Amino acid sequence: MHGYAGKILSVDLTSNTIETSPLDSDFARRNIGGIGFAANVYFDLIKDNPRFDALDPDNPFVIMTGPLAGIKLNGVARWVCATKSPLTGFWADANIGGHFGAHLKFAGYDGIVITGSAPKPTYLFIENDRVELRSAEKYWGKDVYVTTDEMIADLSDKSNGSAQVFAIGPAGENLVRFASIANDKSHFAGRAGMGAVLGSKKLKAVFVRGTGGIDIAHPDRLETLNDKLKDAYDESIFIEAVRNFGTVTYMDVGIISGDIPMKNWQQTEWEDFDAIGPLAYEEKILTGRKTCYGCGIACKREAEVKEGPFRFPNGPGPEYETVAAFGSMCLNSDMESIGKLNDICNRYGMDTVSCGSTVAFAIECFERGLISEEDTGGISLTWRNAEAIVTLTEKIGKREGFGAILAEGSEQAANRIGGKASDFLTTVKGLEAAMHDPRSYHSFGLAYAVSPRGACHTESPIFPIQSGGLYFPDIPELADEQIAMDSMGKAPFIIACQDFGTFLTGCAVFCNLGISPLNASQAVEIVNHVTGFDYTIDEVTDIGKRIWYLQRGLSNLFGARDVDDRLPKRLMTPLEEGPSAGSVPDMDLMLKEYYALRNFTGEGIPEKGVLIKLDLPELAELLYKGG
Amino acid sequence: MGLFKDSETFEKVLGGFFGLVGETPEVAEKLLASKLVIRFTYTDPDVVLVVDCSGDEIRVIPGDTEMKAEVNMWMSSDIAHKFWFGKVNLTAALTRGQMKAKGPIPQILKLLPAIKPTYAMYPRYLEEYGFGEYNIY
Repeated sequence: MHGYAGKILSVDLTSNTIETSPLDSDFARRNIGGIGFAANVYFDLIKDNPRFDALDPDNPFVIMTGPLAGIKLNGVARWVCATKSPLTGFWADANIGGHFGAHLKFAGYDGIVITGSAPKPTYLFIENDRVELRSAEKYWGKDVYVTTDEMIADLSDKSNGSAQVFAIGPAGENLVRFASIANDKSHFAGRAGMGAVLGSKKLKAVFVRGTGGIDIAHPDRLETLNDKLKDAYDESIFIEAVRNFGTVTYMDVGIISGDIPMKNWQQTEWEDFDAIGPLAYEEKILTGRKTCYGCGIACKREAEVKEGPFRFPNGPGPEYETVAAFGSMCLNSDMESIGKLNDICNRYGMDTVSCGSTVAFAIECFERGLISEEDTGGISLTWRNAEAIVTLTEKIGKREGFGAILAEGSEQAANRIGGKASDFLTTVKGLEAAMHDPRSYHSFGLAYAVSPRGACHTESPIFPIQSGGLYFPDIPELADEQIAMDSMGKAPFIIACQDFGTFLTGCAVFCNLGISPLNASQAVEIVNHVTGFDYTIDEVTDIGKRIWYLQRGLSNLFGARDVDDRLPKRLMTPLEEGPSAGSVPDMDLMLKEYYALRNFTGEGIPEKGVLIKLDLPELAELLYKGG
Repeated sequence: MGLFKDSETFEKVLGGFFGLVGETPEVAEKLLASKLVIRFTYTDPDVVLVVDCSGDEIRVIPGDTEMKAEVNMWMSSDIAHKFWFGKVNLTAALTRGQMKAKGPIPQILKLLPAIKPTYAMYPRYLEEYGFGEYNIY
């Protein structure tokens, strides 16, 4: 099969068994890869017993690549993980860059299905056909960077290809509900607490080394298309911006529209803002640039602080989301401390969006007198207090003192704190909102609300499309520029983003930054040239639609209903100043239109008929048991 | 047909604003630090403005198509007008071809924080300098 490795690896940690099965070509044609594979495999595993806690052995964990991983091309190195989230209790998936996906395919596997739970710390060793579960006692308790370095040093055989590690840190081991998983120290399955799922399974890491390659159906056509795209890449100011400044370049763009949350979403203007902008980043912490497998963009940053209270050694630098979450959200204008906080989160293995948002929430609780130094263990948790934020973040990773309360996520923490704490939450379905404000772009409000996994900015390419990084003139619903602070007619736009987007960044697993110069036809062409299939835009959009409904249905199976499709009070409170002053999305209007177009019941569940039409009869059966 | 009736009017409006920006120390200092010469080519109505930041003070030169500019930007007069209100999604405008830019992109991007205060200045300038009819965003 062109583009695919041709095998899926299944690992049961409880019984210590490992099996491989061939990738069915009809299954591949029908689901393309990535989340298309993961959602189907996951559903098959849980459909007989969909009631379990996310941290139970019954919760499978699925890693899947798409047909493009391992190809040397801009923006195609990504791959996905999927499971039930311990933070939200609903369906969760993550989309990760780096090198692991490519190397997994070089080893001969399109994906790994992990079930059960190991009795003691374990890691999965993969070297082509040699696959073993091994003791991870040596690595347990060690941070992500140390684990990665030691594992590579212990296991690498330089004469036999380079190796990749996908590992959790102490936060995953400690079941922090927003724990992440890291490849190569800098590429994270960040959102919704997937690291805690691996921690509950006592699976410290997956080590992979492969020596195979990827067979491309039409290499000549791919090369011709790639040559044609060279000029578009050279002329793209967006590509040049992320190449030169990384994702933090968005600080200077988002500030104009009021998209960057500040002071736990209470303002969008701040006199110290430039102290954490791209120029300050470059001046204070930047040391170099890195990239994902085969990608010439190199948007990843390296950073270091050599001395002072926030010193940290050279390593992966913070992304835009991290700078906003630990910077503007906490009114923290110390760029060096943001680098340090990124280093802490990376080493412990914690999602910087949820962690920074939870810290900002706690600061507001402290400033408003809901908690005191007695609660925080002596930490004076005030706005602008970089030292306090660093101290608290370490405590969260260790689940120590007040950090243990915050390690449950901000919603659970609000329940513990009580009073008006829930007024300061920024969560949808329990997931802390990404650093994009629905008051500045109303479509983001609908996207956050109806996403199967909560308020995430990468659930579909809505964010790059609305904010201009992606442009698909060949899809009518996506061609027109959307009015930012207007809720009218946003449902068809969001649906088109979700359906085509599920193909684009979910199934084919394109990077929504690295393919900025491509139109929709060119993205489909790339998949066709690699796989030899003959997809059209309409067909991949239909596939994306089916996979989107499957993910939505999985969240419905786990209990998500219409009441979960709401924005929190904080995100619905109009701001008095700034570019989006007075603006709030009209959620009732947008949801009404969206539910009608998606054929949802009033409870937010897809109607049985639409699921049958989409060829999801088993999902329909489960959701409508007994009628 | 664009918002501005003729080239002369648009040149007065935007050229005058650039002049004012050049006299605003908090912005001018950062622009002068860039040492860039930027040529803006506007269409409908057609106007060319060169903003020269290479010397000790900012010079605004209308109609100069000869001077060597490190940065060249092209856009319609309407998009330019909207931009200075802070109402144009810059990324989207560039991606959709509503604006084009040639030159050292990193240096252009470095100007964004510098010009941030000008978005609030523009509507005030229009009112104070007799161009209130164009204060529409």
